[in-house]
Amino acid sequence: MKPFGKLCRQFAPVLAVVLCAAAFSGCNFESKYDSEFFAMDTVMDITAYGSSSESAVKAAESEINRLDALLSAENENSEIYILNSEKSLEASADTLTVLTRASEICSLTDGAFDITTEPLIRLWGFYSNSEYRVPSDEEIDAALLSVGNEHISIDGAAVTLDGNTSVDLGGIAKGYASARAAQILKDNGIKSAIISLGGNVRAVGSKPDGSDWTVAITHPDDNSEQLGTLSVSDTAVITSGGYQRYFEENGKTYHHIIDPETGCPAESGLKSVTVVSEDDVLADGLSTALFVMGLEASSELYSENSELFGAVFMTVDNDIYITDNLKDCFSSQYEFEVIEP
Amino acid sequence: MKQRTWIIIFSLVIIICLALWLLVPQMSASTMVAGIYQDGELVQKIDLNTVTEEYEITLSGDYGENVISVSPGGIKMKSADCPDKICVNHGELTSAGSPIVCLPNKIVIKFENDDSEADAISGEAQ
Repeated sequence: MKPFGKLCRQFAPVLAVVLCAAAFSGCNFESKYDSEFFAMDTVMDITAYGSSSESAVKAAESEINRLDALLSAENENSEIYILNSEKSLEASADTLTVLTRASEICSLTDGAFDITTEPLIRLWGFYSNSEYRVPSDEEIDAALLSVGNEHISIDGAAVTLDGNTSVDLGGIAKGYASARAAQILKDNGIKSAIISLGGNVRAVGSKPDGSDWTVAITHPDDNSEQLGTLSVSDTAVITSGGYQRYFEENGKTYHHIIDPETGCPAESGLKSVTVVSEDDVLADGLSTALFVMGLEASSELYSENSELFGAVFMTVDNDIYITDNLKDCFSSQYEFEVIEP
Repeated sequence: MKQRTWIIIFSLVIIICLALWLLVPQMSASTMVAGIYQDGELVQKIDLNTVTEEYEITLSGDYGENVISVSPGGIKMKSADCPDKICVNHGELTSAGSPIVCLPNKIVIKFENDDSEADAISGEAQ
């Protein structure tokens, strides 16, 4: 029989290792704060890690609410509502930035992303307080006359719209909001956070353990399934598709992404487009634009701008394509093809 | 003698680790808890494995009523008075995927045991 003390000494290092392993795997020394809230007509979630996580998340949340009040086309006190009703505005810095960026992305995508489609969105009944309906060709043609970047002019902080033109920032405001929220989290000392603004994901830094965040992409055919996952850090992952907001009439499905050229829901052969970029605003605008443009035109845009973004596409035939700069971080249970620049 | 003690200790540690590794995933897989939230507040938590027959839960909000159908292993928005019907179109939730959201009535239905490996889900805005 060994003396008890000796046995303890033998056990001590083993115990220490086991306890440490248990502590590291089971517990997280970084404090975590999670907030879910409704803003910008969607549900949002911010999860941050770090000692200042609670105050940082609250600051980011109030920034998003502030931007919502500024940029919503449906809020009667917003700058965008005033711009749409009075056709002129002395814009604040945030609104001016978003309008300028929108114009840049419109040029980059040859008009596939266009914030002046507001009258068309209204015509199709895609605003929350109206009924869906299929407009007549005459109505669409009339509305198309006021669509186009050339109907907006920006001179310093003064923004003016042509007579019947109205803008909607729904395709870009959430990107701006996630960029601002990420910045505020960083300013508050957060090195690790994940933001989801209604499916627009923004990774801040990497996970608390230093590994990449795993962002799943929703399968357009089944919300419980995923078409693949991306391992990312410090980037935005934003998806556009026609599978959430849509209606059916006479056996035909009409989704909410309007092609600024036809005035009708885009029919480009894509079900879903996910854009990965460090620039949230670009990712948000491009996800809509690439969906409108289709696979071929998107691939051309990619070959000219492969340093700016990466993308994952699913076609109506359920074929998956990814840009080659994502091949190290994308994985899927399905087969996929790689688009070279 | 000393060597034998070490062998016993290491065997024990390995057995405990193996047991944990085998048991823990099963434990989390065997629970399927869906949470129903309205306006950020938890309304009800339901373990879908304990549901034996389908039943309905009705919630009301600013835009009328939402009828939630709970069935063994699944939960869905059966009908809604809201104008856009995005929540109804979402279909049935049977595993941790993107949550069912009714924006007009501020209802979120999601799985509580999000044991999917993903940290976030990128999808078309709801």
